[in-house]
Amino acid sequence: MSAVGNRQMAAADAPHPRVGRAVAEPLLPRAAVHGHHPSAPAGTMAAVVRTGARAAIVAMFATWVAVAGAAEPAAAQHPDLSGYWNLSTKIPVDKAMIAALPPNTVVLEDTGAAEFPVGVYGGLKVKPKALDAAKKWNPRDDMSLSNACRAPSIVYAMQGPFPLEIFQGTELIVIKLEYFDMVRIVFMDGRPEAGEDYPHSKTGFSRGRWEGDTLVVETTHLEAATITNNGLSHSEKMRVIEHFKLSADGTALLATQELEDPEVLDNRGARFISWRKKPGEHVYPYDCDPSFALQYQSQHPEPSKEKK
Amino acid sequence: MRSKSWLFLGAVLLWMSAAWAHHSFAVFFDSQKSVTISGVVKEFQFVNPHGLIRLVVQEKDGQTDEWRIETNSPSILRRRGWSPDIIKVGEKITVEGWPARDNSHWARLKKAERANGDPIGKPMEPEA
Repeated sequence: MSAVGNRQMAAADAPHPRVGRAVAEPLLPRAAVHGHHPSAPAGTMAAVVRTGARAAIVAMFATWVAVAGAAEPAAAQHPDLSGYWNLSTKIPVDKAMIAALPPNTVVLEDTGAAEFPVGVYGGLKVKPKALDAAKKWNPRDDMSLSNACRAPSIVYAMQGPFPLEIFQGTELIVIKLEYFDMVRIVFMDGRPEAGEDYPHSKTGFSRGRWEGDTLVVETTHLEAATITNNGLSHSEKMRVIEHFKLSADGTALLATQELEDPEVLDNRGARFISWRKKPGEHVYPYDCDPSFALQYQSQHPEPSKEKK
Repeated sequence: MRSKSWLFLGAVLLWMSAAWAHHSFAVFFDSQKSVTISGVVKEFQFVNPHGLIRLVVQEKDGQTDEWRIETNSPSILRRRGWSPDIIKVGEKITVEGWPARDNSHWARLKKAERANGDPIGKPMEPEA
């Protein structure tokens, strides 16, 4: 695992803010019960002192609880990412998010409708074996009956020009993508990383945590799928690290998507992805129909590979 | 850390407004060219990942020819006012699109209009 991975795992192990809140909550009744100490005889100076000390302690406790209580809503009220979000490439890149990317990371400029031509991978340093496989890619193969409705993984799906809808809870965050009806579940309950026998899928296994106002999501157990939609595929060792935050005015969702695949890449990739909120809208069903591929199989001309 | 070529990016983004799809657009269609076709609708499929319009076109020599027009994802087109019955078989329409790279009778839809010039669906909303 890279240094970045180690750093993020360490952060994941750190106590969740809600733990502090859970401890603080029962202190108020306990402090109230302990306000009168049964072993202190009343009427003596010592008792007065002890009583005064107790009163001071209780007062301090009460103040602390009150402060903690006042702070609770702020701790609990993470930014609300819920709602319908439409991908937008017009939102300025958040320079701070880019600057926070780890070293040896190249930012892929293919977010949204843009695509790299065949043989171009946006600065990713592709290992020889993966590069050989990418060079053998035949786009016609994508349009077979068995492949036409085969979804990409979240590596490619998140940046496409399809909307998504977020349902935010405290233990789970659900990200529903219109593209291929994909549904991502982000566990926010602090559970450990999935084991090696956990099934791989196009949405993988995602754990999230809040770092201030930023939602950090780490995803593993991804099924191999395309990175750039032009032949380059990631392996099942791909680890995706996403940082989500709201824009200052709350109308935009900003994200970086970091890609780390030790079997395919010698460096790391990242994308900046942003969406604009559209209240009242919802994602549509995708209901992919593979029969579309027949058009390509039977009549479509051999695709050109001249854009190399 | 951040490697970018704005010239290259500009070339890649030229066709980004409506071209993206599940399969690679770039290897099948030419974003630098445009083609306009008028014909009678023979078939209209409104399915993901792409819709399809099959047009019968009257050529100058009197012969008829068939063009196939691939549309964007219907789930995206719905937000532009499209529906499964927005185009009727037998209707005459005109489409503008990006041609297939080998100049066959195949194109990717940019926009479409009815015989009276009314646009079919709404133009794509500019990104906010």
